[in-house]
Amino acid sequence: MDSRFLLILSLILFGISCLMRIIPLVFCKGKIKSKFLNSFLYYIPFAVMTSIVIPEVFNSTSSVVSAVSGVVLAVILGLLGQNMLVIAFSSTAVVFIIENFILHLFN
Amino acid sequence: MINDKELFQKGLKDGIAIGISYVPAAMAISIAAVKQNLPFGEWELMSALLYSSSAQAAILNLISNGATAFFIYILTFSIMNFRHVLFSLSLSQKLDSKVGMFSRVLFAPFNTDEIYSIIMQQTGKVRSSYLLGISIVPYIGQIIGITSGFLFTKSLPESLKSAMGITLYAVFLALVVPPMRKSMQVLIAVVLAGVISWALECIPAVKTSLPAGAPMIICTLLTCTLGAIFMPVSSEDEELEEEMKKSNM
Repeated sequence: MDSRFLLILSLILFGISCLMRIIPLVFCKGKIKSKFLNSFLYYIPFAVMTSIVIPEVFNSTSSVVSAVSGVVLAVILGLLGQNMLVIAFSSTAVVFIIENFILHLFN
Repeated sequence: MINDKELFQKGLKDGIAIGISYVPAAMAISIAAVKQNLPFGEWELMSALLYSSSAQAAILNLISNGATAFFIYILTFSIMNFRHVLFSLSLSQKLDSKVGMFSRVLFAPFNTDEIYSIIMQQTGKVRSSYLLGISIVPYIGQIIGITSGFLFTKSLPESLKSAMGITLYAVFLALVVPPMRKSMQVLIAVVLAGVISWALECIPAVKTSLPAGAPMIICTLLTCTLGAIFMPVSSEDEELEEEMKKSNM
């Protein structure tokens, strides 16, 4: 990636980020009452994170098999209520184990 | 009445837990940045300025998809960070009237999702000394995570790097999945977003007709609009709000 592009991008986004965080905090006194807007905002983080994960996660490692295993484990641990650290570590570990030990058995 | 020094210390303490939790997430994003061959200095600067793991992950996603138009980045970033407008808005009512313009402007860039939710849990109005205290450790945690993640990954063997390609995604799954257990609405929204994202990026005819980065924006707008129309969330629903704050990065 071109480093000048990254520099300009960082500065532009920083400007936007500041405007979005500062202006309402300094000038606004009212509360958002629109149910539609509140609900829309509520779903944003879930929609964004899901669209980052799918489908890219399946190409994030050296093989689709290891990636799928990592995802399945992460989802199961998440459903069991494990915390982020445990999930991130276990998922990475299972990919490593499958790529370096299990898949070799079939090659 | 607690004095300012005690309030500052309380803020500092409340910030420690948040700061620690930022380290692994920031490391995971840096690992993804190394994968995209970003230069260290520029990445560090971007992290220091934007201070938002989820937004940086989205930017990396755009870079990996080959997006070169500024407006795609700006649009994605604005949509993602739009919730901060809401946070700042509700926070403006939580601050003590003595918190001046200067403190508000200074604090605003440090207001993350987690800090916001901790502040909202405080009893009564919040003063400047507390804001200052709670802002410090999380920011340091973020920078430590970004820096160590980047430098650490460079020196790793290929086999580990490949495995760590999934780390960032696992972090996001860890944020999305637990709230799905408690809320049917979140479950439906996540499944819907997954299907839309998959359709936009995996059906060749659709993928080639869209500019890089557009799928994420379309997926977000579509999911949130459908969610808001068919599954409106009442603001009285405290538990859901809690889940949302916890799940944000």
